Amino acid sequence: MQKLVVIGAGMASGRVLEHLRDTAPDAFEITLFNAEPRGNYNRIMLSPVLSGEKSYEEIVTHDDGWYGAGKVNCRFGEKVISIDRDRKVVVGEKGEVSYDKLIIGTGSSPFIIPLPGHDKPGVVAYRDLEDTNAMIEAAGKPGSRAVVIGGGLLGLEAAAGLRLRGMDVTVLHIMGHLMERQLDEAAGYLLKKDLEKRGIDVLLRASTKEIRGRDRVEDVLLEDGTVLPADIVVMAVGIRPSVQLAKDAGLDCGRAIIVDAQMQTSDPAIYAVGECVEFDGNIFGLVAPLYDQAKVLARSLLGEVDAFAMRELSTKLKVTGCDLFSAGDFAEGEGREDIVFRDPARGVYKRLVIEEDRLVGAVMYGDTGDGNWYFGLIKDGTDVSAMRETLIFGPAYQGGASADPLAAVAALPDDAEICGCNGVCKGDIVSAIEAGAGDLGAIRATTKASASCGTCTGLVEQVLAVTLGDDFQMPAAQPVCGCTDLTHEDVRRLIKAQELKSQPAVWQELGWKTPNGCHVCRPAVNFYLLADWPLDYQDDPQSRFVNERNHANIQKDGTYSVMPRMWGGMTNAQELRAIADAADKYNAVVKVTGGQRIDLLGIKKEDLPAIWSDMNDAGMVSGHAYTKGLRTVKTCVGSDWCRFGTQDSTGLGIILEKRLWGSWTPHKVKLGVSGCPRNCAEATCKDVGIICVDSGYQIGVGGAAGMDVKEVERLHDARTEEETIEWTVAFVQLYREHAKYLDRAYKWIAKVGLDWVRDTLADDAERAALVERFDISQSVYQKDPWAERASPEAARHFKPLADLTLEAAE
Amino acid sequence: MELALDRPVKTFVEVTEVWVPKGDTLVLAEGYYGTLTAFEEASRQTAFAKGEGLPGKAWAEARPVVLKGFDGSYFKRIEAAREAGLTSAVAIPVFAGKELKAVLVVLCGDDENRTGAIEVWAEKDGVLMLDDGYYGAAKHFEWVSQHTQFPRGQGLPGGVWSAETPILMRDLGSGYRFVRAESAGKAGLTTGLGLPVPVPGGKSFVLTLLSALGTPIARRFEIWDARRAGRGEAVLIDGICAREGPLWTGEAEPERKVSAWQGLVGRALGTGVPVVESGVPGLSAGYDTMTALPIHRAGEVSHIVAWYC
Amino acid sequence: MNWIDVGHIDDIPLRGAQIVKTSIGCVAVFRTDEQEVFATSNSCPHKGGPLSEGIVHGRKVTCPLHNWVFSLETGVAQGADAGQIATYPVRLDGGRVLLDLDEIGKRSAA
Repeated sequence: MQKLVVIGAGMASGRVLEHLRDTAPDAFEITLFNAEPRGNYNRIMLSPVLSGEKSYEEIVTHDDGWYGAGKVNCRFGEKVISIDRDRKVVVGEKGEVSYDKLIIGTGSSPFIIPLPGHDKPGVVAYRDLEDTNAMIEAAGKPGSRAVVIGGGLLGLEAAAGLRLRGMDVTVLHIMGHLMERQLDEAAGYLLKKDLEKRGIDVLLRASTKEIRGRDRVEDVLLEDGTVLPADIVVMAVGIRPSVQLAKDAGLDCGRAIIVDAQMQTSDPAIYAVGECVEFDGNIFGLVAPLYDQAKVLARSLLGEVDAFAMRELSTKLKVTGCDLFSAGDFAEGEGREDIVFRDPARGVYKRLVIEEDRLVGAVMYGDTGDGNWYFGLIKDGTDVSAMRETLIFGPAYQGGASADPLAAVAALPDDAEICGCNGVCKGDIVSAIEAGAGDLGAIRATTKASASCGTCTGLVEQVLAVTLGDDFQMPAAQPVCGCTDLTHEDVRRLIKAQELKSQPAVWQELGWKTPNGCHVCRPAVNFYLLADWPLDYQDDPQSRFVNERNHANIQKDGTYSVMPRMWGGMTNAQELRAIADAADKYNAVVKVTGGQRIDLLGIKKEDLPAIWSDMNDAGMVSGHAYTKGLRTVKTCVGSDWCRFGTQDSTGLGIILEKRLWGSWTPHKVKLGVSGCPRNCAEATCKDVGIICVDSGYQIGVGGAAGMDVKEVERLHDARTEEETIEWTVAFVQLYREHAKYLDRAYKWIAKVGLDWVRDTLADDAERAALVERFDISQSVYQKDPWAERASPEAARHFKPLADLTLEAAE
Repeated sequence: MELALDRPVKTFVEVTEVWVPKGDTLVLAEGYYGTLTAFEEASRQTAFAKGEGLPGKAWAEARPVVLKGFDGSYFKRIEAAREAGLTSAVAIPVFAGKELKAVLVVLCGDDENRTGAIEVWAEKDGVLMLDDGYYGAAKHFEWVSQHTQFPRGQGLPGGVWSAETPILMRDLGSGYRFVRAESAGKAGLTTGLGLPVPVPGGKSFVLTLLSALGTPIARRFEIWDARRAGRGEAVLIDGICAREGPLWTGEAEPERKVSAWQGLVGRALGTGVPVVESGVPGLSAGYDTMTALPIHRAGEVSHIVAWYC
Repeated sequence: MNWIDVGHIDDIPLRGAQIVKTSIGCVAVFRTDEQEVFATSNSCPHKGGPLSEGIVHGRKVTCPLHNWVFSLETGVAQGADAGQIATYPVRLDGGRVLLDLDEIGKRSAA
């Protein structure tokens, strides 16, 4: 009988022994080494043991009895010191064993980031039963806290288990969404939401700086200065193959022990299996390929022909109630097509990726029942062209329609408020309909519902549709774009009502039909989010038009214009000199604008950071001539100089500009302040135009002088400068909070009515609240974009990624 | 022989009934009464209007109801219950959206020797608090439970609440080191099944069945994922059995499935109504009685939990 | 094939682009997903708009000047507009972005 020695009692080597026992029980005399003082358990089921949903006894796969029955000579708790290939012996701590064939199954060890403090007591990896027990022990202290570093499979399973055990858990993940190797953004968003629903905090883009504590872990310090108290820190950032023994024995190793398709190493008498092997450049962490390897290895040992081949893999997360599934390749490659299905009410997201009539990838969240069916299609390379249209609905699709969009409205109770402005409930509207109101106009006339700001128009129409049934012809609302059926008003209302604070949240919860929007909806959604959630939402430059992203106006030849801010149109000799110098240095054309500014035209993109830096040095900031935001405040010289001037119009203009600059608005906002009714600042065709009179200030709004020419309408007569500023700021904020993206103020006012605007602003508390919200937003957004981008790090993005012209010449 | 030996002397639950709506009343669809034939007879002749008696109250109030001590209460079958030695009952409404499919009622007898817990947890101020529960002899555990609350995601009730799915837990007494766990360990409670009780109106209720070795609520628990119900099948995702051991399957093993109308679990899947059966051939692992409770979500049966004695 | 390392994928913002200067002009390298890049001509056939400054959505880019939309996979203009941009072989190796210089050279010769 041949002598077979196995190093490591893991899932892969266990499977090899099973195959041998089943097919050739008498072929080998087997010795099994294991450093852990026990047999083999199903390592991938440790997570349910941690959570309490399984017991350790349930996950044992090979206990002593199993080995005994198989006449395996077990040397558990004994480390292997070396392999002597010349003499064909394995040297254990308690003596040598000779072999004819040797299997290395040393597995992997957890990867520990060498952060300061990583070796303190209380820092655990998540790999084996000892780690699991250490975590269960830590969870025993009431009110204890855990920080899990790593938002991948293992980290999240650890987090959910610890939470179930009663700990307060925070997950730190360095990437922009969870499980980024297995999930796309939308699925990652749903997973985060699901975990947060369990009381687990998830911090994305979180970089750990240090693990601190005196004798043991006390807290975790992040790069951004955040401190998270912790009783334990679980490090679950990945594994590294354990190959030292093989390396010392002189076997060929790359990232792991290199094997051929028969699982043979560079020494024909030695095989390797499991997480310690490298095949064709790949290493392995999931269980399915390990079982394939085990089968191939067993057959190879017995002289049978078999070959290991890479297969597609699928992933599930073992957190009860988190239904996610991902398989195949859904991110990389060319010539691919997406099919996206979202059901926000049920929290369902499905995305299929098709390439050349074959399904190549699938990501699902919330409804994963069809996962294995899709996985089969991926593995088999089935031609799906015939079922292309219905593929997303799964194998059971029988032509049924999806959920009724009106059902949600139908389900609302009668006391549900539909129109917040006028306090109209669903019941009021239904009563009005029953009394004969048959369309939107009649509802507005009788109940005032949707007669003010209009954002509830869609809801009112749905109540009409639900109540009247087929008698009601739903007017074709203009959706934002092809990515959604919702109108801008619906999107704005739902972002507020559902507290949606990220773009993936909007895409998922509002059922976007595309993976990540388009050039029409992305800038709008980006604006709505930053206007409604200035503190929570992070502005996305990639959802902005080029001018706002580069903070300069792109010209038709691809160059840019640069326009520094001149507060209220005032400048001085030093600023003018700096502008003149810059014009020389960057070869710019100089133009005086209609808004009392100086524009430098023809600047190359890579010169932008330098010219901005020069402008900054002269004390000037960006004039935002390119933004949907505050552009200019045009003033006349006012009472300081003009014999007709009634108030300090220049001073007021400067104050307003300093208060409002940097704020993003649905469309551009221009102000004018004239010192007397002669109106030299042309204030009456601005979005906000202020005319100073002897008795105070006349505030007009909704003027325009573009494709439409409109005179402002009087909003309010203010007595003092303070009052004028308060009303102006509140008006801008109201516009920011309610208008459709790319509606100038006059268009918005035409929709909601000047009366509603005036009534809203006349409410002292409401006006103060608007000003407060504006100031909160400004605390985030009133920053000079030039200064932020003149740094070398930021400036790098204005340069080409690489310059290959030189290499090509060589 | 072994089957006879490991049978418990007394079960924790003595009677299990399924009441279904018929017009404006609830009528008995099926029930397990053991030897309590007089109580069975009384029950078969009773019907409940909405709001009437225990099942009618669970229907009208759209919530699980625990009733301890029948004398002077709204309980309708006081006489028969007293004669049968039944002292407590729990009624669990089964709603599919707004529609009541059935009310499952379990009745227990008071006994100083029987330990276990049937608990109803309800959301209050953002945490789960004990609404009420029946604990048999586990008095200390009852007291502890009354003074425990579960935030989202914590413990069996909090886990069920946030995951919106049934959860089966092992080693209740040893794994957890909280006060409640310690007390559970002392009371001999080993296995816990928690399940959401969806009701119209959006209130959150969680039902837990905590079973002790000597006087088990059940000796076999199963959780079936029925979210493929559109495809007419359910998959056994977790389970534990005193006779067969763990019932879940690993990743590489074939799934255990039932189709709608196939067997008792299949019947619960097909009808959406709880199933109580006893003494029929073909009950898993040779058990006497079986209760299967479907859980509805988004208009379909999402899970079925089953327990066997 | 002559794969040239032009930079790290993290130097390109998600759903953004960067340009690479080559002998035939600027090549735009788009990052459409965490681990997905495409390379095309940077110039819109309509009025020469710099495509690398456009909004990237799905596997498409919208020209910043007049909203022409191009498939990054095929280079074909979408919708009613007719036109095509050159696409170039690009691949990822670890985090590195590799462009096939031979292919770019060939296009310039042709």
